[in-house]
Amino acid sequence: MISVVYLILLALPSPMQPGECTDDYYAIDLIPTRRVPAARQAQGSVRLTFVPSPFGVAVDPNGSYRYNLDVQVNRLGPVPGHEYTVWLSTPNLKEVVRLGPLSREGHIAGSVSWNKFLVIITLEPEGSAPVRWTGPVVMRGLSRSGLLHTMAGHGPFEQEPCTVYGYY
Amino acid sequence: MPVGSPDSIVWRMPPMDMTMPMLPGLENALPPTPPELPLQDPGLPSATPGEVLPLADGDSLYLTATPVRRQIAGQEVVMFGYNGQYPGPLLKVSKGSTVTVIFQNALAEPTTVHWHGLRLDNRFDGIPGMTQPPVEAGDDFVYELHFPDTGLYWYHPHIREDVQQDLGLYGNMLVLPETPDYYSPVNRDEVLLLDDILLDENGLIPYGKEVPTHALMGRFGNAMLTNGVTDYHFEVNRGDVVRFHLTNVANARAFNVNFGGLPIKVVASDLSRFEQEAWVNSIAISPAERYVVDVLFPESGTVAITNTIQAIDHFRGEFYTHVDTLALAMVGETSASPDYSPSFTELRANPAVSADLASFRDHFDRPPDKSLTLSLRVRNLPIPIMLSMEIDTLYVPPVEWNDAMPMMNWLSTGAQVEWILRETDTGLENMNIQWDFQVGDVVKVRIFNDPRSFHPMQHPIHFHGQRFLVLETDGLRNQHLVWKDTATVPVGSTVDFLVDMSNPGDWMAHCHIAEHLQSGMMLGFSVKAPPVNR
Repeated sequence: MISVVYLILLALPSPMQPGECTDDYYAIDLIPTRRVPAARQAQGSVRLTFVPSPFGVAVDPNGSYRYNLDVQVNRLGPVPGHEYTVWLSTPNLKEVVRLGPLSREGHIAGSVSWNKFLVIITLEPEGSAPVRWTGPVVMRGLSRSGLLHTMAGHGPFEQEPCTVYGYY
Repeated sequence: MPVGSPDSIVWRMPPMDMTMPMLPGLENALPPTPPELPLQDPGLPSATPGEVLPLADGDSLYLTATPVRRQIAGQEVVMFGYNGQYPGPLLKVSKGSTVTVIFQNALAEPTTVHWHGLRLDNRFDGIPGMTQPPVEAGDDFVYELHFPDTGLYWYHPHIREDVQQDLGLYGNMLVLPETPDYYSPVNRDEVLLLDDILLDENGLIPYGKEVPTHALMGRFGNAMLTNGVTDYHFEVNRGDVVRFHLTNVANARAFNVNFGGLPIKVVASDLSRFEQEAWVNSIAISPAERYVVDVLFPESGTVAITNTIQAIDHFRGEFYTHVDTLALAMVGETSASPDYSPSFTELRANPAVSADLASFRDHFDRPPDKSLTLSLRVRNLPIPIMLSMEIDTLYVPPVEWNDAMPMMNWLSTGAQVEWILRETDTGLENMNIQWDFQVGDVVKVRIFNDPRSFHPMQHPIHFHGQRFLVLETDGLRNQHLVWKDTATVPVGSTVDFLVDMSNPGDWMAHCHIAEHLQSGMMLGFSVKAPPVNR
């Protein structure tokens, strides 16, 4: 038993340091799909900070956290006649919000009031503003809360199908 | 008075969502401390609703802590009360006044009274072993309370808050302003103390006798109490503007208070008005915080005041909406008189607050003077809990709004969990930290809540006897400045507090989740008065 506890303690992640704040812990890594040659080397992430609020934490009336998003992507090659557009979506893709096109510097800011969500970057015809994406997915990322998907469907306590919770 | 922990009291598992399976290996586990509850006694008086006590400068008040009989959610339970009331009497005083409280302890255990948020004489802060000895059963203690700041305050024990406060020992102090236009006009005031309590069909779930249970997350209740009852309601006229004075007196629960979707004007918090009033759609209030908000009720009917949260189902990895009704506003057909809706629509700036802040602005951008990391240490927790936590804490929310792991939480006690305030520079922890300041010092304290500790959780940090500003969260300047004494540090966040060391004495700062405090999460600091010139 002692050795089990010892192994658990060894496996604990290193403590974070002051200054490595929310936007580090809750940051979203954007992963390229490699479907668009000009974007295969892209690197990007999304910083999250709370929307300014009189309270210690910003939530909406339903209790969902209210975050400001700061999306930054580097090494995106230009595709003539197209622009890289950022979308936010619930994990089951039922709700999709168009955040807008990335700037030339690969940046866009916005906000979100979902606790668990996807960030998706697609390649869209320049000047178009579709309500859902039409082009190929270039990069995507999942809020850290996506790691909540744990025991019921996976792992040692698996006993229920993941599809019940919107995972396939 | 037969209050204690006889052999007849046995542990009962707290109610659980039965769609969540029991962790293997914990089926017969019990907290490693004896259970404790106040005993039933037919001779105990029934508690009565809290009274309003207007007190003038120089007045005296007798305040007694006693066991009382209460009816909660259809059950008769034995709890505690100040002057036999739930909540304790509301003390209404004027700014600048001084009141004497003759406190008597009619409980069977030691206690003290802490006057939360008051910048009062250190001798009367109610901290056992620091500012006074415990008030033993049958003894008394005389507190002299001075009220230098308009605002909303509250009083509660500072010995085993996880038990005594949870059993009903709390009340408000409303310090009235000197001028009638301090706040904008309203038709009426409602003072609401928000709480919860943990029951099953046999009454209160016992407390830990020697150390607190629920040391990981704090003791969340499953019944919501507003002013001590589960069905609080009040009447207003159509068009009334109502000022709500909200205090979170729960051990651990943070509330997200909605007023049926009505717009909410945030006016004030712990020790002052906001520099600039603001519109919000809900109020996120942590344990021990206070907010003063105005709400206009434009239509007749019933408005439910709710706690609406995104609860976490850790087992299934889901967020789900959970709503509890805290109170009902019964809005009648009669129109408001006078009509204060025009002034309600305006957001006031408060130049007096800005003027008060002016001398502190030079300190806003300088480096922190003190730096703390919030963490915890565990030992001898059951192996299934250790394993489960490893999986479960891949993601931790900024705020835990519900107890989503009641069995594991219940089994964790203050003997196994040590919550930690660690000074970054020295590595000193908790009461080994003893800061020294001078009256007039303005101290920037940076507090980081380490998300990679064994079980991170938000911590509402309270500084005794002083006031502070929340300057920044995660590097972003706070746009809603107000003087406070308690503010939350979410998981993963870094919050800068600017503390106005204005009040001499030996004080403490601590997490106001009662079980975290009882599990060590406190430090000491001393504020020296300037030397007297002879």
